[in-house]
Amino acid sequence: MDDDTLNRILKMKNMVFENLMESYLPFPIDKKYYSSWTDKLPKDGDTVIYTSYMYQISGILKRYEKLFPKISNINVPKRLMGLSKFLIKPGESEIKRSFSIMNNIVNILQKNHINFGYLYDDEPYSGAILLESGFLKEFMEYGNKLNDFFKSRGIKRIITLDPHTTNALKRLKTMINFDIDVKNYIELINFNGSGEYVIHDSCLYSRAMDMYGLIRDKINKSGIKINENYLTTSKDMGTCCGGPLSLISVNDSDEIAKLRSEKLLKINNNVLVMCPLCYQNLSPHVENIKDLAEVIS
Amino acid sequence: MNYEWNVSIDKAILNNAPNVNKILEDNPYIKETAKELRSKKLDVLGNIDFYIDKTEESVKRSGGNFHFAKDSSEAMEIVKGIIKNNKNIVLSKSNVLYEIKLREELSKLGKDVWETDLGEYLVQINNDMPSHLIAPAIHLSKERISKLLNENLDKSINENTSVEDMVKAVRKFLMEKYLASEVGITGANAISADTGSVLLIENEGNIRMDTVLPGIHIAITGIDKIVPTLKDAFNEVIVQASYAGFYPPTYINVTSGPSATGDIELQKVSPATGPREFHLIVIDNGRKEAINSDLRESLLCIRCGRCYFSCPAYKYYGKDFGDSPYTGPTGIMWSAVTAKKYDKSLLCMHSGGCKEVCPMDINIPEMIEKIKFRYTDK
Repeated sequence: MDDDTLNRILKMKNMVFENLMESYLPFPIDKKYYSSWTDKLPKDGDTVIYTSYMYQISGILKRYEKLFPKISNINVPKRLMGLSKFLIKPGESEIKRSFSIMNNIVNILQKNHINFGYLYDDEPYSGAILLESGFLKEFMEYGNKLNDFFKSRGIKRIITLDPHTTNALKRLKTMINFDIDVKNYIELINFNGSGEYVIHDSCLYSRAMDMYGLIRDKINKSGIKINENYLTTSKDMGTCCGGPLSLISVNDSDEIAKLRSEKLLKINNNVLVMCPLCYQNLSPHVENIKDLAEVIS
Repeated sequence: MNYEWNVSIDKAILNNAPNVNKILEDNPYIKETAKELRSKKLDVLGNIDFYIDKTEESVKRSGGNFHFAKDSSEAMEIVKGIIKNNKNIVLSKSNVLYEIKLREELSKLGKDVWETDLGEYLVQINNDMPSHLIAPAIHLSKERISKLLNENLDKSINENTSVEDMVKAVRKFLMEKYLASEVGITGANAISADTGSVLLIENEGNIRMDTVLPGIHIAITGIDKIVPTLKDAFNEVIVQASYAGFYPPTYINVTSGPSATGDIELQKVSPATGPREFHLIVIDNGRKEAINSDLRESLLCIRCGRCYFSCPAYKYYGKDFGDSPYTGPTGIMWSAVTAKKYDKSLLCMHSGGCKEVCPMDINIPEMIEKIKFRYTDK
């Protein structure tokens, strides 16, 4: 790894950490806009649904990742960075899709008799990027701030929607005194579905959090047919979409996504994912790709 | 993207991964043995000085020589002291030999040094480094190998030569080297503290030659290879071979001291037919420091190499994911332990397959996360 890469990573660490400690966000985003996907949920409550903005901003992360080396080279002042929240926005169809996914998850949770509120534009980001980049000291420091925030709002249970947020909060339990109950929505629901797919597992759900069996049980019961292949979709041999590598190399990340897509498409043209970042990484190479929350009810 | 590598790695995975799976399904005792081995190795890591001392006593009791080296340069000085003026040296595949740059150092002294594992021999004549812990030449295609052998061994070999004939040509060359060798240097797959035995596992038969034909056998390995008993050592080599896809292994070599005979009035006399000297060099090179840190679990690795094939970074970057010979997920840990090299950890995507397939149940993604932290905590 060359010095330039390390310096870029360190600048990113400092910038993201400073932003998080100041505003609960890794970089400036338009929170009002990204929390406008619902107005029907109670604000607050001891149980909340927690998006951590992942579905909403997944479509623009790549653009930030491409922009980041330039920002770190020219030391853009913070007030100008703030402007990026108005400049970098997902396309209308992307944002509609993410809003629809989150509303469908809400509907299914409610059908399963689960009640919860939402923090709307008070919602903080989870800090997952710090954990996944190995910035453990900063992750724990921000985790304490996050813990205090949730406690101050009287939150006892958090329902997460994506693997990165779920993993970050569950890991916080092992690293600091974070005792809020964390459940991912898939753990809480039974659902119906149809169609035939090959699953591209989220590495975090299926391996880091050991949900591989649970996910398959629920999908099999739903009516969705799954095609499996030991070398491509097993817990042992299934691999990453390349997404986490994009902070180091956008090009390598995309090449890995392409290779992964080729393997999946040999099994079925219809690919099912459960993570907004997997979707973003694989969708340029897979025409028929759906998030689980788009195909279940 | 390297298309030649993509083809090679896909073939290797297709040949290896389902086979390992079948071995484990057909022989359920192996997973149980692996669990038992983990607990024995944890015991050793918790009491490393005791087990090093015990190994020393046992090696000496069996007529061998024991040496402890705190780092690579100390290990090389010990080796030079043993070899003295002997010139002809054969090596068996060992990552620790790369770790201490043994072949490089001995070649500089004008020794005639040859790797005898076929893959390592190919890596040697290619002036290359291994791409996998147990399959060092998987990055080389048959066509590339035929060219290498043509240029370095036998002009009659070409891309139409069969693999069998290529192997035959190398065998013929190496046989001359075995017969001329004065010193055989090997690694060790396991060392038993209670008997001071070195266990080496292989399929080619070269290690048998390396450990028996020369007058001096030197085994060099890390302190992490020590297990409490000979039974544990057998368990380690069986688990390693199985998870590497070789079950049953063709050969398990056990060396407990120099050759000896008791055939005349049951009086033990040494040497007999095999080596007159046996030396075991165990090397620390950062391992004790790692034992006392949050990287302790890394040292449970038995180097079966299975994690490589479940890793998207290795599949994509090949040996650039790590610092050869320590590449792949486990290589990221070994490079951190033995060389304090942390940078390649940033290429890890925490896909997690490495943890799933690890016989020692090492949480490799979390180890690599800690290594990333070491690199970026500035």
